[in-house]
Amino acid sequence: MTTQVSQPASPVTGPLERAVNARKGKKLTTGRLGVIGLVVVLGAWQVTASAGWVDASFASSPVGAVKALAHMIGTGELWPPLLSTLESVAYGMIITVVVGIPLGLLIGRSNTLYGLTEPLVSIMYSVPFVVFLPIIIFWFGIGAEARLVIVVWSAIFPLLINVIAGARNVDMHYLQVAKVFCAPRLLTLRSVTFPATLPFVLTGVRQSVGRALVGAIVAELFMGNAGLGYVVQTETSAFKMDDAMAAIVVIAVLAIVLTRSVAWIERRFTFWSSSV
Amino acid sequence: MTPPHPKLRVRDVEIGHRSGRKGTYAHAVDGLSFDVAANEFIAVVGPSGCGKTTFLTAVAGLIPISGGTLELDDRRIDGPGRDRSLVFQQASLFPWRNVVQNIEFGLKAHGRLDAAGRARVAELVELVGLGGKGDKYPRELSGGMSQRVNLARALATDPELILLDEPFAALDAQTREVMQEELTRIWQADGVQAGKTAMFITHDVPEAVFLADRVLVLSRGPAHLVADIHIDLPRPRTPSMKRTPEFLAMSDRIVDLVMAQSQIGKQDQPGRRVTSDDHAGVAAG
Repeated sequence: MTTQVSQPASPVTGPLERAVNARKGKKLTTGRLGVIGLVVVLGAWQVTASAGWVDASFASSPVGAVKALAHMIGTGELWPPLLSTLESVAYGMIITVVVGIPLGLLIGRSNTLYGLTEPLVSIMYSVPFVVFLPIIIFWFGIGAEARLVIVVWSAIFPLLINVIAGARNVDMHYLQVAKVFCAPRLLTLRSVTFPATLPFVLTGVRQSVGRALVGAIVAELFMGNAGLGYVVQTETSAFKMDDAMAAIVVIAVLAIVLTRSVAWIERRFTFWSSSV
Repeated sequence: MTPPHPKLRVRDVEIGHRSGRKGTYAHAVDGLSFDVAANEFIAVVGPSGCGKTTFLTAVAGLIPISGGTLELDDRRIDGPGRDRSLVFQQASLFPWRNVVQNIEFGLKAHGRLDAAGRARVAELVELVGLGGKGDKYPRELSGGMSQRVNLARALATDPELILLDEPFAALDAQTREVMQEELTRIWQADGVQAGKTAMFITHDVPEAVFLADRVLVLSRGPAHLVADIHIDLPRPRTPSMKRTPEFLAMSDRIVDLVMAQSQIGKQDQPGRRVTSDDHAGVAAG
C-alpha cells in the first residue's frame, strides 16, 4: 500500500530535525535506496497480481492503479474530488492558522493562561481526534461544516503546541537588547518577538497541514459525498479496486506536495535558525 | 581629584531584590559612591558575585535602584535611555539579521536610521574589523566576531555612556587578548566622539588595568567602593605594556585588593568561588 500518513514527530522538533537532516549528508544515497525499496515492493505486488497468486480484483495492481489513474485524468473525473479535498484542507488551514497562531501567542505569553490550558492542549494533541468523530457527527451532522470542524480539530493542536512553545521560548536576551535600545513596542513585536517565534510557527504549520489532510480524508471516508476519501470509499464498495488505489496514489502525492511546500517555505524564511 | 561636574554621579547607591523562596531582602549594592568624568574609561573589578553586574544593569536602567542617586549628565537614571548603550556579556545578536542589520538595530529603535546613520554603520563595520562581512549572519560568526558586532551595535547610537558587561569573558584567552587591544584601538579611534565615557565590568584585573583610566575595586557583596586607582599608563596602550614592571606592580596591587575581599568572603561563606584564578598565588599573603 502506498498510503502515506505524515505522522507529526514530537511537537517541538523544528531546529532539531534540521540538525539531524544536516548531519546525514548522504541524502543522495538515501534517496536512491528509497527508490529501490519502492520498486521492489511495487514489483512484488505486480508479479503476485499478474501471476494470479492473489486476485487482482481484490488486491488491484500497480499497473491497474496507474491505468485507472490515467483514465481518471483523461476523463477529468479526478479533478472534482481532488478540488473538493483541497478545498476542505484550504478552508480548514485558513481557520486553523487564523485562530491557532494568535491563540497560541496569547497562551504562550501569559503564565496564567498557559497554566490553565497546558494539560487540556496536550491531552487534545495526544488523543486521536478520530474518537471524536461520532460526537462531531452528532453535533454538526454530516455536511460540509462538520467536515470543516474535523479538519480544524485535527490540525489545530500541533500548531497550537508549537506556537505556544515558540512564544514561551523567546530568548530573554533578545528582549533585553530591545529594551536597552529603547525600541518602541511595535518594533519589538515586529522585529524581535515575531522573527524569534517564526521557526516554531512554521514548524507548527507544516505538522498541521499533514494533520489537516488526514482530517479531510477521514471526514470524507465516513461522511462525505465528495472528495478523494469519498472516491476511495465508493470505489472500494463497488469492487473497483484499481480506481480506489488510484485515488490513494493521488492522496499520497498530495500529502507529500503539501508538507514539502511548507517545508520549503520554512527553509526559505528561517534559514538563519540553526542549532548547529 | 573629582571634577566639579561629573558625567556620571553615583551617590550612596543601594540595590536590593527579594530572592529565594522566603522572599528575603538581599542587598546586592550598598552605599556605593563615585564619579566618572567625561571621556573617562572606567573599569570595575571585584570578587565574583559582588554585585558589579547588578550595578551595571541598574546604570543601564534595566533594574531600579532602591536608594541613593544615579545621575548621568545631571539627569536621574530611571529606565533605559538613548544616552546609554550596553555591550552584552553574551553577544545577543539577532540571528535573523545580518551583521549590518544587527549594528543598525539601535539606530532603528531610535528612529535615526537615515543616510547619515547608514554611513555611520558602514564606517563602524570597517572600524571593528568586519569589513566585507556585513552580510554574514550571526551563526556564521566566531565568538570574537560576534563580540565585535555587539560592540559596534552599542557604538552606533553614539551614546553618552557606553556600558560593557564582561564582554570578553566567554572568549578563549588568545581572542581575548586580541579583543582587548582592539577595544582600546576602537575606543580611541571612533570618529564621532573619540574616547567616549565608558564603564567596563570585568573580573580580570590585568584586563582592567590594560583598558582603563581608572580601576574601581568593589567589596564583596553587598558592594561598596574599596579602592579607586588611577592608571597613568600612557595611551595608546600596546600589548607590550603588559610586561612592564609598572603594569605588573599595578595589577598585583589591585589583585591583592580583590583577593582580600574574596578572603573575607571565604570565611563567611565557604562556598564562594575565588576570582582571578591566574593570580591566586599572589594574594596568599
